[in-house]
Amino acid sequence: MVTIAIDGRKVKAKEHSTILENTQELNIDIPTLCFHKNLSPFGACRLCTVEVKTNGRWQLAASCTTPVEDGMEIRTNSDKARESRKIAAELLYYRYPTTEAVREIARKLGLEVPEQKDEGHDCILCGLCVRACREIVGVSALAFQDRGLGRDIDEAKIEFNPNSCIGCGSCAYVCPTGYVRMESIGDKRIIWNKVFTMVACSVCGRYFAPEDQLKYISRQTNVPFERLTVCTDCR
Amino acid sequence: MDNVIFSSWNGKILDNREGKSPKMSESADGRFPKLTEGKRIAALMGWDGLVVMNPKADILSLTLHYLKEIRKLSCGECSVCMIGIDRLLHIMRQMDEGKGSKADIAEMKAIVKQVSVNSKCGFGQSALFPILDSIKYYKSDFLALIKGEKQLEDKDYSCAVTAPCMDACPAGLDIPGYIELIRNNKFEESLDLIRENCILPGVVGRVCTHPCEDACVRKDIDEPLSIRLLKRAAADYDLQHGGSSLNGPQKEREERIAIIGAGPAGLAAAYNLRSMGYGVSIFESLPHAGGMAAVGIPEYRLPKDILNHEIGLIRRIGVEIKVNAKVEKLSLKDLKKKGFKAVFIAVGAHTGTKIGAEGEDKGYEGFVDGVEFLRNLNLGNKVRPRKRVIVIGGGNTALDCARSCVRIGYDEVEIIYRRSRVEMPASSEEIEEAEKEGVKFQHLMAPVKILAKDGKVTGVECIKMKLGEPDESGRRRPNPIKGSEFTLDADMIIAAIGQRPELPVIPDKEKIGITQWGTIVVDPVTYMTDVEGVFAGGDCVTGPAILIDALNAGNQVAKSIDCYLQGRRLAKGVSFEGVDLKRQMGRGFTTRTPAQDVEFLDIKKREGSLAEVEGGFDAMAAISEAQRCLRCYRVVVWERAA
Repeated sequence: MVTIAIDGRKVKAKEHSTILENTQELNIDIPTLCFHKNLSPFGACRLCTVEVKTNGRWQLAASCTTPVEDGMEIRTNSDKARESRKIAAELLYYRYPTTEAVREIARKLGLEVPEQKDEGHDCILCGLCVRACREIVGVSALAFQDRGLGRDIDEAKIEFNPNSCIGCGSCAYVCPTGYVRMESIGDKRIIWNKVFTMVACSVCGRYFAPEDQLKYISRQTNVPFERLTVCTDCR
Repeated sequence: MDNVIFSSWNGKILDNREGKSPKMSESADGRFPKLTEGKRIAALMGWDGLVVMNPKADILSLTLHYLKEIRKLSCGECSVCMIGIDRLLHIMRQMDEGKGSKADIAEMKAIVKQVSVNSKCGFGQSALFPILDSIKYYKSDFLALIKGEKQLEDKDYSCAVTAPCMDACPAGLDIPGYIELIRNNKFEESLDLIRENCILPGVVGRVCTHPCEDACVRKDIDEPLSIRLLKRAAADYDLQHGGSSLNGPQKEREERIAIIGAGPAGLAAAYNLRSMGYGVSIFESLPHAGGMAAVGIPEYRLPKDILNHEIGLIRRIGVEIKVNAKVEKLSLKDLKKKGFKAVFIAVGAHTGTKIGAEGEDKGYEGFVDGVEFLRNLNLGNKVRPRKRVIVIGGGNTALDCARSCVRIGYDEVEIIYRRSRVEMPASSEEIEEAEKEGVKFQHLMAPVKILAKDGKVTGVECIKMKLGEPDESGRRRPNPIKGSEFTLDADMIIAAIGQRPELPVIPDKEKIGITQWGTIVVDPVTYMTDVEGVFAGGDCVTGPAILIDALNAGNQVAKSIDCYLQGRRLAKGVSFEGVDLKRQMGRGFTTRTPAQDVEFLDIKKREGSLAEVEGGFDAMAAISEAQRCLRCYRVVVWERAA
């Protein structure tokens, strides 16, 4: 355990825990868009910025990716931290003005957000889908498109690898904006424009999982495919 | 040469627009990036500031163009950097369309400041700063733009991108680029990018002395990125997943090129020329291709399978490698008669340098030079272990010899070096591993005489040294202490203090310039020797250098030969010489994170075994290590003078 000071209050914190984990435990409200407690932090949205003092100097840092250090002082609600979050929200809102998740956070951080008829579902590059696919599902069908030297790409985006995808839908579940859509029509599921065949439960007949996902589970667990064709309700 | 009329480079403000401060000559003080020789600059904007030479320079359009260029490198993985740049571009265009106001200037400043303090990586934290300089010192231009008195123009700018690691790499690999691909779990694409400038990735990923890591910005924060091991990770991943092949040429060309020597320089040139469509034949004197990588580096540091796999790929795109084909006499006429349009001499430096001790020429049994010893070992010749061996020298060859001796079963292995440990040119990792393996080091002594009985080595007479003033190399010069001679017993002595090339006999030798060190003289840009159509590069030009230096020479020679065959001359690229690439105007908070570890072969398992000592990263460790990269891309844009 290490001792840190959050807004002047001395608290014990687990070693290697992040600032955000500790502030959440203290119910301090820090806005986030790209954070999910079951996924590794990524520091994409820059909305959870706080001020930290290390080596005698106050600096801004993303609370989700910054681990605590013994003696660290943290200000969660200083003018500088608020200003920084507000500009990050302004920029997100400038880029994705119709996406509700962005509008909501912009409103929360004090921006004027007029009412809007059409709702957009932009990809805000939070990386939650990429992390869920890699860390929880373990198939890595999603990745950030690479930019960098000589690869003049206009818009950064998430790339989809149809050969790896098992159609589980975890990405659609974690997506905060509704960009990743999953549609089910009869025995078909469509996600990232790839069509998956659904398997019907051998007991109740309900379509409950894509064939590719069950095959993947079978490969990972060595449980024969036939034994996986009963849905959880009927098991 | 133009005078600088304004500069904020390096954080130092020089403002001579009113003719007040003393003029700074571009050549004398300006350590900012220059365009290639002969090209004059009106102004430049880069990560470290704004420099203006011409009063008519268009700072507004330069700022806009700089924003466009940094936009290409902003990765979009955090919200503020890429969108911030887009917003700045939008505001400037609005101003240009007459829709701007003074409040927009304030917004621009606020965005630059926030992006700089809140960006995720070093690029966002540093790239936008010079925009503040143009706003602050050329504010009247922005006001004129708002009023419609000035316009933004799309001009033809020059742009260059580098990074401290890229600039330190002799081959200029796009290091942040290939690390980013690993971070995004794209190992195959990362390897493709590495191969653009480094056709031996598994080899270089194991043996490079990684000057890039010494230049890494992270070195001053916690530890440098393990750049070498990340390169190795990309190559290892490829091998573990079946191994990809190289792309052959898209079209064939008629011209054929002869390369003498199948070392890293020869192989790199061969690969590049072949992918351009030229026919390439390499003549190698040894029974194996690979040059020093094959016969100079021991198996435990570079398994031959890795080297042979990578050479095999080059062969498979149609490069012909003739082994046991020593070119004793290099007759250009003959080669031309055989249809070769150009020749590349890349014979390396495989002859040991004399140590200057009495008796070294007597042919005593048990006295051998380091490169010869390693060559014998690598060619599979049996080396009979003796009791006690003394290795003379402090470089990587000396270390390779000593560590090899441990493995083949010498009882005692000792290195003697004429300066102290800090001056040893060998890498510190090598020295540490050797110490762990039981190699003894003795410093500040030099051999005077090789002692022998009945033609067999019995020991060496040495003299103690003390360090004096620094010499040309910057290291303190060792001076002998009179009367301090003493004797060390040994039944084998390996002299490993340096190498020089063994050049083939060249009939038109009088035309090819040779230096006093026995190396070949070439044009520093084109690598052409004094004889037209004959090029040289690698150790036979530089003297013994590191592998990636030779590999880069091969890359450059390929380009130069291509230019030559098309009647052009290879042009010099932009140079960042003398520019402080590590400096950046702001640095956000960086969490201290140590580098990922790799496993090393247990010390007990090293004796009697040539198994590879250093392990590599697995995919997860490589991705974690890649996350540490701060992406220190440095962008500079020049407005050329009319």
